[in-house]
Amino acid sequence: MTVVDQGDDAAKEELPTPSYRSLAAPLTNPVDKFALLPAFLKVRGLVKEHIDSFNYFITRGIRNILRANNRIEARNDPNIYLRYTDVYVEKPSVQVDYKIERITPHFCRLTDRTYSAPIKVDIEYTVGGKEYILKTKRNVLIGYMPIMLRSYPCVLNGKDEAELARVGECPLDPGGYFIVKGTEKVILIQEQLSKNRIIIDTDSKGRVIASVTSSTHEIKSKTVITMDKEKIYLQLNQFTKPIPIVVVMKAMGMTSDQEVVQMVGRDPRYADLLFPSIQECASERIYTQQQALQYMDEKVTYPGAGNQKEGRSKSILRDVFIAHVPVKNGNFRQKCIYTGVMLRRMMDAILNADTFDDKDYVGNKRLELSGQLMSLLFEDLFKTMNSQAVELMNKNSDKTRSSPLDFSQLIKHEAITTGLERAISTGNWDIKRFRMHRKGVSQVLSRLSYMASLGYMTRITPQFEKTRKTSGPRALQPSQWGMLCPCDTPEGEACGLTKNLALLTHVTTDQEEGPLMNLCKSLGVEDLSLLSGEEIHAPGSFLVMFNGLILGKHRQPQKFANGMRNLRRSGKIGEFVSIFVNEKQHCIHIASDGGRVCRPLIIADKGRSRVKEHHMKELRDGIRSFDDFLRDGLIEYLDVNEENNALIALYEHVDQDGVERSSITHIEIEPLSILGVVSGLIPYPHHNQSPRNTYQCAMGKQAMGNIAYNQLFRADSLLYLLVYAQRPLLTTKTIELVGYDKLGAGQNATVAVMGYSGYDIEDAIVMNKSSLDRGFGRCIAMKKYTVTKENYGDGLSDRIAKPQRDQNGVLVKQNMRALDEDGIAAPGQIIRNHDVYVNKQTPKNTDRRVAGAPLADRDYANAAVTYKGIDGETTVVDRVMLCSDTNEKLSIKCIIRHTRRPEVGDKFSSRHGQKGVCGTIVQQEDFPFSERGICPDLIMNPHGFPSRMTIGKMIELLGGKAGLSCGRFHYGSAFGEPSGNADKVEDISNTLIKHGFSYNGKDFLYSGILGHPLEAYIFMGPIYYQKLKHMVLDKMHARASGPRVLLTRQPTEGRSRDGGLRLGEMERDCLIAYGASMLIFERLMLSSDPYQVQVCRKCGLLGYYNHKLKAAYCSMCKNGENMAKMRLPYACKLLFQELQSMNVVPRLKLA
Amino acid sequence: MDPQQPEPVSYLCGDCGAENTLKPGDVIQCRECGYRILYKKRTRRIVQYEAR
Repeated sequence: MTVVDQGDDAAKEELPTPSYRSLAAPLTNPVDKFALLPAFLKVRGLVKEHIDSFNYFITRGIRNILRANNRIEARNDPNIYLRYTDVYVEKPSVQVDYKIERITPHFCRLTDRTYSAPIKVDIEYTVGGKEYILKTKRNVLIGYMPIMLRSYPCVLNGKDEAELARVGECPLDPGGYFIVKGTEKVILIQEQLSKNRIIIDTDSKGRVIASVTSSTHEIKSKTVITMDKEKIYLQLNQFTKPIPIVVVMKAMGMTSDQEVVQMVGRDPRYADLLFPSIQECASERIYTQQQALQYMDEKVTYPGAGNQKEGRSKSILRDVFIAHVPVKNGNFRQKCIYTGVMLRRMMDAILNADTFDDKDYVGNKRLELSGQLMSLLFEDLFKTMNSQAVELMNKNSDKTRSSPLDFSQLIKHEAITTGLERAISTGNWDIKRFRMHRKGVSQVLSRLSYMASLGYMTRITPQFEKTRKTSGPRALQPSQWGMLCPCDTPEGEACGLTKNLALLTHVTTDQEEGPLMNLCKSLGVEDLSLLSGEEIHAPGSFLVMFNGLILGKHRQPQKFANGMRNLRRSGKIGEFVSIFVNEKQHCIHIASDGGRVCRPLIIADKGRSRVKEHHMKELRDGIRSFDDFLRDGLIEYLDVNEENNALIALYEHVDQDGVERSSITHIEIEPLSILGVVSGLIPYPHHNQSPRNTYQCAMGKQAMGNIAYNQLFRADSLLYLLVYAQRPLLTTKTIELVGYDKLGAGQNATVAVMGYSGYDIEDAIVMNKSSLDRGFGRCIAMKKYTVTKENYGDGLSDRIAKPQRDQNGVLVKQNMRALDEDGIAAPGQIIRNHDVYVNKQTPKNTDRRVAGAPLADRDYANAAVTYKGIDGETTVVDRVMLCSDTNEKLSIKCIIRHTRRPEVGDKFSSRHGQKGVCGTIVQQEDFPFSERGICPDLIMNPHGFPSRMTIGKMIELLGGKAGLSCGRFHYGSAFGEPSGNADKVEDISNTLIKHGFSYNGKDFLYSGILGHPLEAYIFMGPIYYQKLKHMVLDKMHARASGPRVLLTRQPTEGRSRDGGLRLGEMERDCLIAYGASMLIFERLMLSSDPYQVQVCRKCGLLGYYNHKLKAAYCSMCKNGENMAKMRLPYACKLLFQELQSMNVVPRLKLA
Repeated sequence: MDPQQPEPVSYLCGDCGAENTLKPGDVIQCRECGYRILYKKRTRRIVQYEAR
């Protein structure tokens, strides 16, 4: 053990020997560790977990899948085979006319293509005829893989800002998503309970259960051990009834009851709990392995195909029961020990209730990332492709064919390509092989604002059903600290279930297990097979669990853990391996599996940070990077479990209350990193009431602003942009880290907090008209309209005709004025409602055609595409793009731009969950003004403050005002006052006083209407305001008479169909209660679907009016004698007829 | 109104900016650099926008 103690020795040298003097001396200045944050993000990026996971899949995962299924052979002749020797994913490209062209992500976005790269394999195969010839082939295409942006195969990987600009990409765009058929798709992070771990819980009936979800490459199974009426049973889907656990132990070859008890532990209390189960087994007269297996065979769900029935339950025990524990050469010993540990944990829980596992504990969860999901999908498709090839081969070899049997001809690459593409574009992960049916795995990346897209990348969706009313999984877990953002969660249904990663969180990917296991053994872990049941639980020794498997035991657990940790700190093993000593369970858990959340922390020796000022200086000078900190053992990653072995201090320089400094093992890098990306843009969030921060997290994603540097070259179907977006005057460190200061979504408005005009109640905002003229809140809505030139075969296709003119060159149709001579609207042209933007014509009959003859003008029908806009609004054709889509059809994309001023009813919000609509717009002349001539941009009602308690907003105003006067951006980072990342109110007030303002931010204002001074000083200053995407223009709707539904003749529904406004049941109830019967009659009948019918008084059925005879007639009674004319809603008549069609006769009885 | 001669409409390449003319049925591709996205040129007509 030479490697172990190096780190410790080095640390000891640095520490001076403590003396009274040195302990009493004031601490030296704390090291400003903030620079670590940007360094971390520079190395890891904001969405590194996505990219890491995908990279792992591309470089290793795909290889492992191929290696596991690398040989396929013909059924009746194993000499005809194909073997995959290597696989690699190339750079993204498409094949056009047998020519390979490189593609860039932006090109794919514009042309509705999939950004995918060919997967190539090297194969070795035999060609069968009379003799077998061994052949090899390289670079065989097996399909196209959609490529995650900024991953290894992506063209953007490793490019700097200028190079990114050259390929049309925004340098601030984080990547981590896919482009499928032109739309950007994110595979959301999926949250799951961790696999292969024992979870002790209670079921719905209050019974103690121990469950393990085993997952291996071959099988996924769930093993449950329950305690029912003091007896312990095994539950498996493969058995119809619960099996007594002692029977299971016996079936696995552990026939001695004494050994079973020893396995669980020698404590008599365990034996007491186990006794009823042992007794039950004995009462069933099961003493041998044979008897136990026989007993279990009777309870197998599907007894199966007779012949191997005796081996049935044994194979279940081998393959399904705790499937991740391997059985080598029929040796069940490992499984026995594992079962023993499960039982022991269960009994611990019964004896001592606080050893139950918490399912909501983050350490018991795993996050599934895009790489894992893609590898599942790929594995399934790859296997399908192979089995199809085998099937084809079998079919071919049955027939006698002249061509030699050749597997390489039977590998079809379409299946993988379309399979991957379909799954990502629909989001449905339907994998029968793994019994996986998930919907909504991938979602369209929202490009509403930069924050919205970032927020998508950090989102975590739960796997369990959302309808559960229980609050447990929704509540904030203490273990979420620093890993998941406590603020950023949606309101309503998914509240608390959908979460977001915190700023510094990293999600691990799988790591090689073999070397780690060997290392554990050489550090003194005693192998399981050498230990008897008695020795396993010997006091003082800890079991070593490696990724859920029992590796062995160690007699000096703390020394072993320290050794492993030192190896990790010195970089000998992966930085994400976690070593967790569980004192309660007497276990050491070593985890190297993927999907654990972890975060970096500064290592402290007896409370003294290992990161010293000279390290930070080296970082600032660019000599040291974040990875160097890791490598030198100054910083390490801790996952949620290992955090339990650490004592983490917030600050180095603060005396911890009641905690001895020497016991501190780690120090936080920066407290603001407990928040996520989206909540990081709130200034002073720690001064707000917490739900306000949550509301802001939802609203920040709806704010309009700059989306990306390439926003004007993008072709999204709907894009909202703010015209003069600004960076916030009061920033936070997170804002700078994520680049929100470069792609802001709001403007710094001067806000006066006062009542004005009465149009400001209920959070409404009074706006300054001149501010709007200057461009405040002005936004651009760009919409894309796509027209495709359809091909009908035989050279028959749509055509784009030039606009018709008469002999004077005047347009025949006025609505074609925006068109150019090519029949497509020209950029820069104003386009109004009903104007044509592409003058398309389609051939009249596409089916039959006289061969050869070109079509004349009259063979084309007009199919001009008209713009449906809002009357009275001027919209402009911004760009017109021509390209051919994947089916080689011409597609014309017109991007139409509409610039909007704020109007009454538009929604605005500050960064503190304080939304409001514009209540009125007032002339600047009537606005209050200060002695300095400052006039607010908007007026906010002070009633917004008392109940919301958003003190952060007030401090933002103060800080912004001070920032304006002294010319320095002020900071409001979360919990930033002690570390200097947030300005204190006291300092801000001093700055305000220095520049001639009142310390409290209030100003002396004059009334704009009367000119006299206002009675009160007004709290006035800049606040960053966001314009939200909800605008009246998109929502307002009214109609008198209009379109009706064909079937019921009632008015249509919804704004998009120019529908009517429904008078519903509740409104009807009101009218009935009031007694306004004529109004009900008018609303429900006259204004809806009045209809006249002929009713036969005798039979009560509907007749008809014979227009020839000018008489009503009943077709049932075959006469027209008792007819009456009446009016009823058409829908009523329709109902009668529908009932009749179902053999139900409604009869009208006329009084 | 504006009497327009049937001058051929030309398109700009999205990559190199070269001018291209297209006939019906042509492949959408720049003659100079082979880029497959073309943009229409801005209108030559006089347009009056409302700047409010």
